[in-house]
Amino acid sequence: MLRRGQLVYLARESLAGFSRRRLTTGVTILIMGSALLVLALFVLVALNLGMMLERARAGVDVRVFLVDGLDAERQAALQPPFLAVPGVQAARYISKEQALAELQRELGDEAGLLETLPENPLPASYHLELAPGHRDADAVARIAADLRRWPEVDDVVFSQIWLAALENWAELFRWGSLIVSLVVLVAAVFVISNTVRLTMASSRRVIEIQILVGATDGFVRSPFLIEGMLHGLFAGIVAMGVLAGGFRLLSLRLAGLEFFSLGQVAGFVLFCVLLGFLGSMAAISQYLRLRKTA
Amino acid sequence: MADIAVNRWGPLDPRVIIGFFHVQLRYRDQLALDDVTFSISNGEFVCITGPSGAGKSSILRLITMDLFPTQGQVVVRGMVSTRMGRRRIPHLRREIGFVFQDFRLLEDRRVYDNVAFVQLVVGAPQAQVKKNVMRVLTQVGLWDKRDRLPHELSGGEQQRVAIARAMVNSPKILLADEPTGNLDPVTAQEIIDLLFRINDSGTCVIFSTHDHEIVKTFGQRVMVIQDGRLVSDQERRIPERDRAPRLTERMYQPGQDHA
Repeated sequence: MLRRGQLVYLARESLAGFSRRRLTTGVTILIMGSALLVLALFVLVALNLGMMLERARAGVDVRVFLVDGLDAERQAALQPPFLAVPGVQAARYISKEQALAELQRELGDEAGLLETLPENPLPASYHLELAPGHRDADAVARIAADLRRWPEVDDVVFSQIWLAALENWAELFRWGSLIVSLVVLVAAVFVISNTVRLTMASSRRVIEIQILVGATDGFVRSPFLIEGMLHGLFAGIVAMGVLAGGFRLLSLRLAGLEFFSLGQVAGFVLFCVLLGFLGSMAAISQYLRLRKTA
Repeated sequence: MADIAVNRWGPLDPRVIIGFFHVQLRYRDQLALDDVTFSISNGEFVCITGPSGAGKSSILRLITMDLFPTQGQVVVRGMVSTRMGRRRIPHLRREIGFVFQDFRLLEDRRVYDNVAFVQLVVGAPQAQVKKNVMRVLTQVGLWDKRDRLPHELSGGEQQRVAIARAMVNSPKILLADEPTGNLDPVTAQEIIDLLFRINDSGTCVIFSTHDHEIVKTFGQRVMVIQDGRLVSDQERRIPERDRAPRLTERMYQPGQDHA
């Protein structure tokens, strides 16, 4: 276990390395921050797209119009079979009269127009609500096609086309952002590991003497790991800060967008710290291995 | 840790602090050491000599287990090279001090920090760090210059800082690899005298040099390495009057402080 003196020493050593190479440190944080900004941006857009999609799906409105001429009893008796369709969560019956009343309400002042009609032209219908997991375009289309074959059903209407388009876009974007994210991740790790390698090269003598006087590998490593993690931390904070600023500006014009939750921001920054850790770990292990074979 | 080491050649004499048993060391295709066998007891002062590249440094690096023999065994403080886990190496190194020809001080740190650093690395309690640093820096006569940076010191002073650094963890063994190689004879003699004083207080000192002038002034055990073989290992016990004169006595008007 480390003693207090060792901890103080390690902390001082890591911070010294950090501030001694202010320029390198600054540049590293900026480069890595930019890379992470791109990453965060993609994640944020994907998140918003996902949310839009979810909202759109929740609003998917499947209306099943019944053929004319069924008596009220048979119409009401259709509820259990509708509920039995896989994916249907709720089925609300809307009689001809209710449909007319609804239309009247929507027309408001112009409701008088309806008085002129000889009879109620609106069909009775069922308003189906789909369970989550059955709300994507494919599932909705399948259910609709199924219902159309029922003899009692005249037509099924739902907002199919734009939902499918949105889903296609979201899918494309998810793949695109996954690829970009991977590239960015590799770049970020690379940038960090390069910086740590520079740091290690300039602390060659310290490392050599530490090893000579019996420092454990872990002890030799830790200042560089801490340095890498600090790089990640600051780069993550920079990326999040810039993104949050840009988002504020944008959301003034575009309503309905959402930023990361506080937990997600913390998670992202923590992830950046992890990247810093990985980058410096790679550099150190390589360095110690090379030293062994030298 | 101090279990009595037993190896293929039988149990070790408990006084033996360093034992080489038929050590062969191969560097790629080169045979750096071949069938080297010797043992060094607690508190000895041993001079290893021989031409440059004969294998002196390899012997020292085998002792710190920075290298491992391709054949045979090295035993240091009861730790056997063939049964040494990587994790235990740091513990071995804490019992060994090392001094180099080129000092290897940390140029951006004060003298005090150069020495204290070693204590911090091994996790000495904070209260003891200052005490120990003060003790060794006083011993080498540099406590007054503790706030200087290495480049503000003369070569001899820098080597004394290096020795203080090697001694601050109170090692049982001090390895000095050509410690006088970069120094003028007066300063070299000072360093040698300092190493003798350290030996007097019980630390085993192993001193490597290719300089015959220095070897001739010694009355101690001298091992001669040539082409990777131990060609001579003599306990000289030369009485003081028969030794070559000290390096300083041959100097024309010896100076007091060679910077």
